[in-house]
This record gives sequence, structure tokens and C-alpha cells, in this order.
Amino acid sequence: MPPIRHPARHRKPPPEGFEDIEDTLLEFHNKMKDAENASHEGKKKYEMLWPIFQITHQRSRYIYDLYYEKEAISKQLYDWLLKNGYADPMLIAKWKKQGYEKLCCLRCIQTKETNFKSTCICRVPQANLKDGRDIQCVSCGCNGCSSGD
Amino acid sequence: MADLPARPTPGLPPLAPGWTEHKAPSGHMYYYNRETGKSTYMRPILEINSFNNLLAAPAVPLGPPGTFANYHPFDPLAAPTQFNPDPQQQFFQHGGHQQHNFPRGGSHHRGGHRGAHANFPDRRRQPDDRPKHRQDIPKCAPWVLVKTKLGRRFVWNRDTNESFWKFPPDVMKAVVDFDRIEREKKERRARGEPSDDEDSTMVEAEAEIAAAERDIEVEMADAEGDANMEGDDEYEEVEVTDNEGDHVESPSKRQRTEEPPEDHPLEMGEDDMAWQLAAMEGDYEDYDEEEEGLPLTEDDCKALFMELLDDVHINPYTPWDKILDDGILYDDERYKALPNMKARKECFGEWAKQKMQILKEQKAKQQKQDPRIPYLAFLHQLANPKLYWQEFRRKYKKEPEMKDPKFSDKDREKLYRDHIKRLGLTQQELKSDLSAMLKAQPLAALNRSTTLASLPPSVLTDLRFISLPASTRDPLVETYISMLPPAPEGAAESAEEEAEVAKKRAERERREKALAERERRVREEKRKQERELAFGKGRLREEEIEIERAMRVGKDGLRGQLDSFEDDRQER
Repeated sequence: MPPIRHPARHRKPPPEGFEDIEDTLLEFHNKMKDAENASHEGKKKYEMLWPIFQITHQRSRYIYDLYYEKEAISKQLYDWLLKNGYADPMLIAKWKKQGYEKLCCLRCIQTKETNFKSTCICRVPQANLKDGRDIQCVSCGCNGCSSGD
Repeated sequence: MADLPARPTPGLPPLAPGWTEHKAPSGHMYYYNRETGKSTYMRPILEINSFNNLLAAPAVPLGPPGTFANYHPFDPLAAPTQFNPDPQQQFFQHGGHQQHNFPRGGSHHRGGHRGAHANFPDRRRQPDDRPKHRQDIPKCAPWVLVKTKLGRRFVWNRDTNESFWKFPPDVMKAVVDFDRIEREKKERRARGEPSDDEDSTMVEAEAEIAAAERDIEVEMADAEGDANMEGDDEYEEVEVTDNEGDHVESPSKRQRTEEPPEDHPLEMGEDDMAWQLAAMEGDYEDYDEEEEGLPLTEDDCKALFMELLDDVHINPYTPWDKILDDGILYDDERYKALPNMKARKECFGEWAKQKMQILKEQKAKQQKQDPRIPYLAFLHQLANPKLYWQEFRRKYKKEPEMKDPKFSDKDREKLYRDHIKRLGLTQQELKSDLSAMLKAQPLAALNRSTTLASLPPSVLTDLRFISLPASTRDPLVETYISMLPPAPEGAAESAEEEAEVAKKRAERERREKALAERERRVREEKRKQERELAFGKGRLREEEIEIERAMRVGKDGLRGQLDSFEDDRQER
């Protein structure tokens, strides 16, 4: 059962500092809405999900940067944001691992779902690709996110 | 140069008399002589290679004015004066010149086989030479050693205003000594010993740069096979410290077999030199700085970019991609201070981090405003006994005071209801309440210097303050304030201190109370104990008496005993 949403006045206020990033998060939200409502005309089936993944990545990255790189938001706010679905905690957990600092999405490292039990093409470093061709992975449209790139 | 007959640059040699300059429809310049009716693409100039044929005819410094003087755009007409670091003299010392080949001269009458092919590129390649550093030569008083931008050196006599590329023998000795000293200094510094003279180190650094520049020049010259380029042989004679000389020497020697080398291949005009030297005399420091150009370090670039970010007033919480999408940065010059996007992104990250910290500190400094203050002001304005709370909330739900997340809805409702209830009271009661409330304020918070706009929060958060309409309330409050004495000493920290003192006092009272309580309890306990003790003693005594009595069993036996009991009872 989904959580019951109360009207704003009954809800507990977000932690201190949320008002600073509220505008940016709202922009991400609008972008996400646009991407959700965008037409599928002329797109491949798997292409439709790309913007969703990309926006999720951007938003998670934004919050990750604010907390870990710039140290601009408090622990409470960070936890609150994760709890309320503003960022993907699993993706952020991967970014903390060496070699996954720029990971584009979780599907790209999910080896169980691929035919040859391997990661996505975007995880291959640019140097190891044959004749440096441009790639775009199926799951999120990433052009390459291995940490060596 | 034949392929470029007319270069319409300023500083070309003057036209021969009778010739006029025109532009052809094709864009070429051509020259027309009205008297002879001839026209040509070749620029007819004053015949100056007459002196090419002058062999060893000293004292006729004819050559350079045409060539040198024309070179410098800012002083094209200067005639050779007595100030003449004189190439001519050197020409003749080298046995005269068949040809005058100034690589940059712009003269068409260069003649000879070493024609245009090598010379044109030189024109582009060689930057202007100018005097850059000046040092007094020790023990050789009026003479000054001047170093040019390209690292060449000449000597200048301050008194007679003469200058020579070729050092006169007496000066030569001093210069060699001077060079030795310089070299020693450099070595010492290389060994890590501190140099005593800052000035000299600077000069040396300068010299190194100059040498490096010259290396480049030489290499380029070699690559093109233009031996004539750097053939300053008199230069080599003095450059004791520099190995580069040998490098250049061989081509120039080869050169000498067919045509005597140029002593002065470079383009510096004498008059120009004079001008430069004058400038150096005047404001040496200033000039030098200008010459260097302001150095732009990496930090400067970063700082510039950060200033740009400051100036466009971006919110530091904005993501970098968004800023790029908006395209607010592109128009500014400072955007290009950093070489690539990665550097810019990094720089933005740093900047945002700093900014966020500053914002955080600012916010921490700002005292938090009680959310009740704006809400009560809002109620004072709009609350109406005709509206129930629900109606009121529905009506004004868009107002920021009604949406403040830090203040719960329940509190809002409670305040509203209380306020409405108070509105039903009579004016008299409300007034007395207000004055009671104002009287209760400590003097530190509310005193003569307080104005209506700067009332303490303890007043503003009180319901009694908003119960009266502003028209009746404000005069009341003002008159009350005017009656108050001025603020006590140290009123600045008043409110908090007062609160703290009150808190301390309360604490102390509480402690004292607690202590008294405990003492009372202890006393009670003690009394109880004493009583018990006394009781116990009494009991003990009674028992003792009984035992004593029991021991009094005499010969009369039980009877006597019983009697005695009866006696006792009677006694009691």
C-alpha cells in the first residue's frame, strides 16, 4: 500500500536547509514529469526509458555532490531526501565504490539480466573498445561511464 | 621580394622623387612616374645602395638611415644622430660590405643572390627588439650595459650618449669581469646558497629567459638555412657565458667567404634605441613592467572565473549543467580564462562549496525569528470574530503565514481561537491587560530607546498585544515607552542576559527550595528516631521495673507477689 499523503499543513516539515535546494529539485521534478509524459512516437521501445534514467541519475548526482563533495546539506536532510525518494540510495552506494564513481544506472551492472552474464557496453573503458566507436547502451543511453573514461 | 612588389605597410622606404603611389583595381599597389611615363609594381626608392660599393671608406655612416629609420613605425623620420650604436663602424671593421643585407630592412635594393626567399619569412618571425635591462658596468663609470629583449647586449655611454654593439676594448675588459661575477653568482645560487642580491637574481632570470628566446631564434634560423640571421659576431665576442655563440658562429663563418656578414641583422633602429633608452632613464620600473606584460598564473585564472560567477549572481545550489544550459556565462571574457570545461567545472565546484559555507554561516548568525511573530501580525490584521477557524484557514490558505512548515496547524488554530475569544472582551479590559503585559517586560527589553518597530519578541508574541486595534494600541504603547527610564548599562546584551539571570535565579531558588525540603525531611526523620528511641527506653525501663518486681518474690510466696501487684495497680 502506498504511503498516505497528507496535505502540506499536516506533514512534518522537511529538515533545515531544504528550502535552499527546493527550487532545483522542483525543476528536476518538472523535467521528470515532462519525460514521463513525452510521446513515444518514433522512438524505440528501449529508448523511451532513457530520459527517466538520465534524470534520476542527475538528481541523485546533485544530492550526492551536495552531501559528499560540497558538504552543503546536513545528514538529516540527506537522509530525509533519500527516504522521500529524491535520490536513489542504491545508485549512490555504488558511486562510493572504486571503479564505479561515474556509474550511469544500476541496470548497467546487473549481469544476471544479460545474455552472456556480462555488464553493459558502457562499462567498458574507451581504450578497450575496438576502434573507439561511439556507443550508447540500451538500458539508459549512456555513452560510457567506466571510471577510466 | 620580387613577388611582393608593394606592401602597403607603413614604414616602407620613401619613394624616389617623381614617383607616385597608386592602387590598381586588382588591389596591388603600383608606382607611376609622371615625368618618364613609366609605371612599375616595384617600389622605386631612393638609391641607397650606393654605399654598398663603399669599401673601407670610414666615417661615412650613410647606410642605416634609409633602412633602420624606416623600420620603426613610430619614428620613421628620425635621422641618425650622434647617438649611434654604430653598425657602420663595425661593417668597416669587418672589411667592408659588398652588400647591405638587412633582413628586416624592407629595402628592395638588396641585390645579390641571397634575395627574398629567406628574408620574407624573417619579417614575420622576428619580433621587435628593444632594450630591456640596464646595468652599470662596475669600474667603468659612464658606461652602461644594456640588454635587449632578444638577449643581445650593447654598451652605452651615459655621458656622451654613444652606444656600441661592439664593445670598446676598455669597456670590454670590464664587461668580461662583470660577466664572470654574474656567472659566479649564478653558480652559487645553483648550489643553493642564498643570493645576497635580489636584484641580480632577477636580472639573471631575465637573462636566462632571453637566452632561451635566442635559442629558439637560432634554431629557426638554422632550419631555414639562413646563416646570415644571427651572425652578430661582435656579440659573440662578449658573450662569455653563453655557449650558444659557437652554434651560430659556424654558419656565419661560411657566410663570410662569399659576403661579409652583417653585424647587425636585427631590426633595431638607432633612433628607436635612443628613444627607448630615454624611456628607460625616465621610468625604469614602469617600463619594465609594461614590457613583461602582466603574468597570468593559474590561480589568477581561477580567481577571474570565480569573480565572473560572483558577478552573475548564480545560486550556488544550482547544478553546473543548468548554468551551462542557461548560457549566462558565455558572453563574458572571463569565461575563457580557464582552458577547458573540466577546469571550469572544478572551479565552479570550489566556488559553490565556498559560497555554501558562507551562506550557512550567515544563516547560523541570523537569529531565528519566532514563527509566531508574523502569524500574530497577520491575525492582528485579518482575524475576524465572524469567521470560524476553518473558514479563516480556507480563506487565507495561500498566505505564506498560513503555510509556514515550522509552525504546526494546531498551534495556529489555538492562537486564532484565543485571539477571537479575546476580541469579545471590553476595551477597558483589553487596555488594562496590555498595560499589565507591558509593565511585566524587563527594562532591558523595553525602555525609552525602544520604538514601535523594534519591540522585543516577548511583546510581539503576546496575544494581549494584538487584541486592540492598531489605532488605539500604538499611542498607548508609545506613551508607555516614553515614560520609561533609559536602558540600563549593558543593555545591548540585555534580553538574553536577563533571561539567563532569571533562569539562574530560578535555578537557585529551586535548589534552595530543594535543600530546605531535604533538611525538613531529615529533621523529621531525626525526630522520629528520637521518639522511637525514647519509646524504646521507656519500654526498657518498664520491663526493668517488672523484672525487678518479679525478683522481689519474698517468703510470703505467690500471695505476697499478688499483693504487691495489687499494690502496684493501686499506686497507678
